[in-house]
Amino acid sequence: MLHIEIDGQQVEVAAGTTIMEAAESLGIYIPFFCYHPKLSVAANCRMCLVDVEKAPKPLPACATPVSDGMKIATASRKAKMAQQGVLEFLLINHPLDCPICDQGGECPLQDITMGFANPHSHYNEEKRVVEDKDIGPLITTEMTRCIQCTRCVRFGQEIGGIKELGATGRGEHMAIGTYVAKAVKSELSGNMIDLCPVGALTSKPFRYKARSWELKHTPGICPHCSTGCNTDVQSLGKEVLRVLPRNNEAVNEQWICDKGRYAYTGLNAPDRVTKPLLRDSQGKWTEVSWAEALEATLAGLEKVLARHGADKLAGLISGQSSNEELFLFQALLRGLGSPHVDHRLHQQDFRADAAMPLYPALNMSLEELEREPLIVLCHGFTRHQQPLTNHRLHKAVLNGGKVVSIDSMRQDFNFPVTQMVAGAGEDLALYQQLAGHFAHVHEEKQSDGLVDLAREMAAADNPLILIGSALLHHPQAADLLAQVESIAELAGGRIGWLADESNSAGAWLSGCVPQRAPGGHLLAEPGLPAGACWNAEMQGFILFGVEPGVDSLAGAQAVQRLRDAEFVLSISHFGNEARQYADVILPMAAFAEGSGSYVNNEGRCQSFRAAVKLPGEARPGWKILRVLGDSLKLPDFQYNELSEVSAAWHHAVGDYGMDIPPFHAFPALEAVQPIPAGALLRLGDWPIYQGDPLVRRAKPLSTPLVARMHPDQARQSGIQGEAVEVSSASGKVTLALDLDTHIPLGCIWIPLGYPETSGLAAPYLPCSVAMAALLPETQRAS
Amino acid sequence: MLSEKSLKAIAFERSKYPQEESRSALLAALRIAQEEQGYLRDELIEYVAEILGLPAIQAFEVATFYTMYDLKPVGRHKLCVCGSVSCFLNGSDRIIGHLSRTLGIGLGETTADGLFTLQEVECLGACKDAPMMQLGDRYYENLTPESLDALIAQLRGGSEDVR
Repeated sequence: MLHIEIDGQQVEVAAGTTIMEAAESLGIYIPFFCYHPKLSVAANCRMCLVDVEKAPKPLPACATPVSDGMKIATASRKAKMAQQGVLEFLLINHPLDCPICDQGGECPLQDITMGFANPHSHYNEEKRVVEDKDIGPLITTEMTRCIQCTRCVRFGQEIGGIKELGATGRGEHMAIGTYVAKAVKSELSGNMIDLCPVGALTSKPFRYKARSWELKHTPGICPHCSTGCNTDVQSLGKEVLRVLPRNNEAVNEQWICDKGRYAYTGLNAPDRVTKPLLRDSQGKWTEVSWAEALEATLAGLEKVLARHGADKLAGLISGQSSNEELFLFQALLRGLGSPHVDHRLHQQDFRADAAMPLYPALNMSLEELEREPLIVLCHGFTRHQQPLTNHRLHKAVLNGGKVVSIDSMRQDFNFPVTQMVAGAGEDLALYQQLAGHFAHVHEEKQSDGLVDLAREMAAADNPLILIGSALLHHPQAADLLAQVESIAELAGGRIGWLADESNSAGAWLSGCVPQRAPGGHLLAEPGLPAGACWNAEMQGFILFGVEPGVDSLAGAQAVQRLRDAEFVLSISHFGNEARQYADVILPMAAFAEGSGSYVNNEGRCQSFRAAVKLPGEARPGWKILRVLGDSLKLPDFQYNELSEVSAAWHHAVGDYGMDIPPFHAFPALEAVQPIPAGALLRLGDWPIYQGDPLVRRAKPLSTPLVARMHPDQARQSGIQGEAVEVSSASGKVTLALDLDTHIPLGCIWIPLGYPETSGLAAPYLPCSVAMAALLPETQRAS
Repeated sequence: MLSEKSLKAIAFERSKYPQEESRSALLAALRIAQEEQGYLRDELIEYVAEILGLPAIQAFEVATFYTMYDLKPVGRHKLCVCGSVSCFLNGSDRIIGHLSRTLGIGLGETTADGLFTLQEVECLGACKDAPMMQLGDRYYENLTPESLDALIAQLRGGSEDVR
């Protein structure tokens, strides 16, 4: 340990500590711009210059390691002169446009100038002007304000995996940019706004909306993936104006992804429902009072129960619902006698249900992920599915670990990943081959990617196998899971689940699966899983926060069944899809409007509060369910406060472990239809910004709908030009086409989650393609 | 994009540094590319980055930082006048002004006959004989309008080796 003195205070620190860190531990503030504890040290702003005894010149605190006996003064005459000098230089070129700058009020340059600058400047000449750059759809640039701290560049290179951003030119000509005009595409790009210490990078959707001091801050939990990032929801009056990360080292550190940051812009989508809607006998929708809507709901439900029995009623709930909503939802359905409760719209193969764990648990903390030496990702593209869990994997790689991905296509990771890609529809075969290689890892000399992987896994001490979200979307998910289990056993490894949706864990725990009650207790008479409801002649549906047309794999089939059903109640935020088939639409609180709790991928239960008032006559989801239960005279629905529901949830779920067995015993798996060989297969998954109703409506995040195909495959299929007509058994559509070598031969990749593609066959089913004429203008513009 | 000879020279520079430090060979690689092609086009910079396995922006950062790299075509003779402190105090502005008037071009410009390019550069480390400039691989010091006129006349006359 080294003894040093800062401003007369003695402190003992470990060797290698910088002056900045030592001062921080004493609570002494040293001003800085370019320093950031999560980034490498650049020491280029010079704001943190301090006076070190016996050093001839002031030294930068962020880059100077302490040595024994060092005496440092942060506010001596020399230090102050240095600080004033640096600020005077920084302000030479920085425009004094604070009144029209969005950073005003939360600007380190403004604050530090007020605190440390000499009020007079020697500079009377002209200031430089820098051209603005278009670095993407989410960030406004005002590059004249840039002070070249390079935090954004370092964030890009070290955290975001953005390789296009840099500082070009020298001295007065230095500018941050991409040199050749290129949009920066990263799911973490919004964090650069938070990092920028001046107003050079600001949020585009938030531009000129409010001043930081006018905003109300409410702690929130991000509802867009299972990482469960902590957010700070900032609102003014009834409107959410922005969402920023809230520090939690254990979960999201100090970052959030762009999905969590900008999805709020979808809250005021044109089809938002704020009043109960009722469809009359002619199919016309009218706004009605809650009393009328509830009356119609009760009548509709009772009719279905009386005519067809509770066995023809099914309930589907979103995996983004809170624990309280999930708990009441299953109680409502089961109270009515229906066993068909599910949240897994993204899934189609349910044969392994008996083997599923209590809940999809990571079985370790997110922080522990960083220290894993070998991680095998099974059909998980974490960069888009769980962006901040992905960041932990990135850190594992930076710490010398290795990440291997097994998937149906090459994915675009932002750090080095060894990728094993299955041929068209041969995902199961790939896992089987890998399992097979373990038997003779020691003898084989050939070097094949899979053999090497088997060898590495066998040699590694307890390798980590992560089951990705896309694995469950596969038509042979059960077989794949069984293979993953046997591979884990052969390799002597552990299994962790990457939960599909923000509260998938909560949904399992709360009993929103057909075979289990709250707390995971097995039910004697399980109901039908989500996917099976579409061809089981169901006559009544209760939908909660879902849009089955785009949220399920068999969209067209789902919509058809919902249209044919006698009564459909949709408790929803948005009306466009529900208007196609529902009889009653009840408006529900959306993101930031309701309170509740989520269980994240680790099993961490985190609660959130409403940030803004409900729009119109929308009501919190749990209250709607409570009123329905109460009106239907079901027992145990007499809750007055959310806390009572939470308590009931806790009581029913009980204590659950964070480290649980990843599988129960597998049942015998009946064979399913094999994936057809030889035909052109449709691949696809939900892209990052299409995965749920809110983010789909977030305009700044919207991405054009394009199909992707390997150039060789396009040639073979006789496709030229930039459009393609895709037909499948259930429908056809004309799409823009990108040629992309990431897609395996024999496949065409078409995203899910767009209404335009919901009529197509589910992924891994055959389709045919034909040349198409130029796209209609409307579609190209989208 | 580059000749066999240049590629070999770049590979040799690359071999001087450890496996994971290909960035260290960037300065030399860009110089070799410029020597062969006269100046660094965007595609050429990207190509050099690709040879070294670096993100293109890193090569752009270096190429735009040093005044010795030319990002536009230059004339037969590149007059690089130092404009840093010592030369500035000894009248580099006067030197640049004189050259500019004599040649009829501004900073960063090339004469119509393709003979001269005028540039202002950062300190070249010859402060004791300021003001100075670099021409080819040679320094010209204690510049005066008269010495410049003589030099330019020689160069216009087709002389290569001027002292």
